[in-house]
Amino acid sequence: MPISRRAFLQGSIAGGAALSAFGFDVAPVQAQAKTLKIGRTSETRSTCPYCSVSCGVIIHTLGDRAKNAIPQVVHVEGDPDHPINRGTLCPKGSSLQQEILNDRRLLKPQVRRPGSDHWEDIDWDRAVDEIARWVKKTRDASFIATDSRGRVVNRCESIAWTGGCTDTNELNYLVVKTMRSLGVVGLENQARV
Amino acid sequence: MRADALAADEGPGVSLLRFYARLLRAQKKVDDALGVTPPTGVLEADVGIVLESGVDLLRTVSEAGPQPLAAQARELMDGSASVCEARLLTYWRDRSDRSFFGKALLQPYAERLTRDEAGPIAGASIAGDNMCPRCGGAPQLSILDGGGAAATDGGARYLQCATCLARWVFRRVVCPSCGNEDERTLGYYQSAVFAHVRVDACDRCGRYIKSIDLTRLGLAVPLVDEVAAAPLDLWAQEHGYEKIALNLVGL
Repeated sequence: MPISRRAFLQGSIAGGAALSAFGFDVAPVQAQAKTLKIGRTSETRSTCPYCSVSCGVIIHTLGDRAKNAIPQVVHVEGDPDHPINRGTLCPKGSSLQQEILNDRRLLKPQVRRPGSDHWEDIDWDRAVDEIARWVKKTRDASFIATDSRGRVVNRCESIAWTGGCTDTNELNYLVVKTMRSLGVVGLENQARV
Repeated sequence: MRADALAADEGPGVSLLRFYARLLRAQKKVDDALGVTPPTGVLEADVGIVLESGVDLLRTVSEAGPQPLAAQARELMDGSASVCEARLLTYWRDRSDRSFFGKALLQPYAERLTRDEAGPIAGASIAGDNMCPRCGGAPQLSILDGGGAAATDGGARYLQCATCLARWVFRRVVCPSCGNEDERTLGYYQSAVFAHVRVDACDRCGRYIKSIDLTRLGLAVPLVDEVAAAPLDLWAQEHGYEKIALNLVGL
């Protein structure tokens, strides 16, 4: 009767002696195996968000998907199978783990008042109110409906927007819709990946 | 030798490593003999050299191997050459990681063939990119080898054949057994005790392979370190995973 490897090993252990498939005594090895703290890590292929080169990366996430365990990114490396970068990363891409895990990440809005030398916390409702008020005031004061030759241009040249490289596609879509509706022409983001 | 150095630590796997070190030396004698008399590539014609130079291997196993293997080694040494030849030819036609003597005696032979020939060896049936492109054998282990300058340069993955020890490039996040590419059902298990060894497991087919990460320990010798990390095999098998190919200590 054919015996599977697993059944062989289990049977050997149950019989009192832990033996490998070829009969080696693996009891000491088995004892060590019981002391090991072993964690499961998954590898996820992704794309570096930083520039238009679009290097492939592999993100290592520690965690066994148990409900009481919080997955944690433990390493990010270049994807050796990716045709663009073949495993290499630039210094900025090499720091991707810090983009994901960083105790200096801002978790709430802040404002630096005119003339101030420091940033101060502001709650979301107040921040949105102030932004709306300043945008309206600035746009109303500087809106250009027609150019010097009387042609309709509907421009707002006193407001500009710049987006970060890790902004999502969805955020960038909304930014363009919002800024264009205001007449903002000074608009830049990093939606190249 | 790496196996001697690891065995000198007197860790739990010391008896496995000592045996494996002696086995590797015995395999080296077979390889040396094949260097003097190059193989033709047809095992029926080459089997005599393998058996003649493999006597040391059989003696080593009879002296240092576990009781069942030692008894078989003595049988092979005392028996007729035709029985040994038949056994090796059977293994060569229908390879199995459960056949200790076929694998141990013919590893140097297959390695010599693939080392000397550019393409697949004669009669090799290669079923897919998860099988050895030289002899069609299953992978014994996986190797991560960066070759890059930075620690964050990802290590390319190679598989090493259990039959001829040839290495070939294989994609990183793919199961070498079933070809599963679903990242949610693939993962690796690792312990700080063996920081450069990981168990790459597939939850779809339930099989695993150990990876030796040379980007973490450049001194590692994959075949030896794979044996040295035997506790990970026990752990994986107790957690329901089955190895793609057993190594020469039966784990």
